[in-house]
Amino acid sequence: MIKFTESKISAHHNYLVNDLLTPGFVVGDPNSSDAFYFWADLVLPGESTPHISARIMDEKGDLLLELNGSQMGENPGKCDYHPLQGGFKIFRRPNEPLLEVLTQNFPRGHMTRIKARLFDEKGDLRVEPLGESIQVHGEAKLVLDAPFTPSAR
Amino acid sequence: MGTNNALNGVWVFGDYRNYFQNRVTLQLIAKGKELAEKRNTKVTALLLGEQVQQYAMEYVAHGADVVIAAEHPDLKEYQVEAYCALVAQWVEAFQPEVFLAGATSFGREFFPRLAKRLGTGLSADCVALEVDPKTGLLLQTTPAFGGELLAEVVTPNHRPQMATVHPGVFQERPHNPEAVGRILYPDFNVLPQSRVRLIRSRRQQIRKVNLEEAPVVIVGGRGLGSKAQFERLFELAQLLEGEVGATRPVIRAGWAEEDRLLGQTGKSVKPKLLISIGTSGALQYTTGIQGAEIIIAINRDPHAPIFRMADLGLAGDASAILPLLLEALRKRI
Repeated sequence: MIKFTESKISAHHNYLVNDLLTPGFVVGDPNSSDAFYFWADLVLPGESTPHISARIMDEKGDLLLELNGSQMGENPGKCDYHPLQGGFKIFRRPNEPLLEVLTQNFPRGHMTRIKARLFDEKGDLRVEPLGESIQVHGEAKLVLDAPFTPSAR
Repeated sequence: MGTNNALNGVWVFGDYRNYFQNRVTLQLIAKGKELAEKRNTKVTALLLGEQVQQYAMEYVAHGADVVIAAEHPDLKEYQVEAYCALVAQWVEAFQPEVFLAGATSFGREFFPRLAKRLGTGLSADCVALEVDPKTGLLLQTTPAFGGELLAEVVTPNHRPQMATVHPGVFQERPHNPEAVGRILYPDFNVLPQSRVRLIRSRRQQIRKVNLEEAPVVIVGGRGLGSKAQFERLFELAQLLEGEVGATRPVIRAGWAEEDRLLGQTGKSVKPKLLISIGTSGALQYTTGIQGAEIIIAINRDPHAPIFRMADLGLAGDASAILPLLLEALRKRI
């Protein structure tokens, strides 16, 4: 019996997660006011830049920063944000990248690769590098069918 | 997520080499979608290779409901034994009713091997595909007996019903950026053993010929008499902003490159205007020009079959008519 892993694919934009294409995904709980989450939302036709929102902790579970729609929010970890051609990179300390988001433009369509090593409020590893993409751990919704709307934030 | 009952519909093999020039996979996805809807099922595109994400997205944008994507560094280059073994496994697992591929050099090698391995039939170089409304079987129209007649082939007892189709026979659907599909990644760690070891591959440098997209096509046949006369067609094509095609005897004579070949074993075109010069009108050629909106034929034999499908026929010597035509066009353009 052949085993298959299944995902959804958008004709316009996808993220590469767990070596799968997906139009959008959520790790953790964006509805919580203080828990870890990483939310890569759908990019609709007419747009080409990804929408990343997140609450990221360090290995001890202490808050490092919050991202809202790929923009820096709370930043107690004093992380540095560097815009890149086709994305951005956030450094926890000089020469210590925390998160990199890069969008590859095809002749028609876009694909975003993420590189990150992220921890939750318990200090558990939730996102780690996997080749050219990321591997996620724990509670996650790996395929979003529509733009994600947190119920209470 | 999802169920796999839609995967036994129409499959299309994704030939993405020379992607933006070679549209045959997109044309087959469009036809496959039409056939699948008649059978109340789905169209699935297969992709083997490395870093094939953009092609998967393109196939969904052009109508594929499902993409099966096998990514592995060793699949980057086409290797017939490995490709055959993998695809055969998936066919046996999902039992698709119909499986289509382009009648490209790739499809012509790969699909017969696959059909043999699966123990089913294959209709090569099809010029039409339909679903029989009574039986639901795929009606595969293909030239037979050296192109002298068109045969309608059915595969009642074996599955999948396999066919290769010329580029240009069907039209692709418009690119829809809002489309969403399923994508399946088969689990495999070890590729099937291959007796062939690829040492290196190199892309052949050829002059770009875009016959399928040209609004005007000038076709030369052996009746032109010489390579020098054939070369004059390029000036005619330039004046009319078109491309030059050729019949099999012209290719055999070495007057034109293989990629200009029209017909049963070459390309199919759908120009607004096609001028056929010095061609008799053999079926193996005319199957490739059936989609032309207006056909003008020039041949010295007034009984040549080409006149039966021409909208305007000139019975005369091409070597006399061609200079007059060129001169008239130079004055007008």
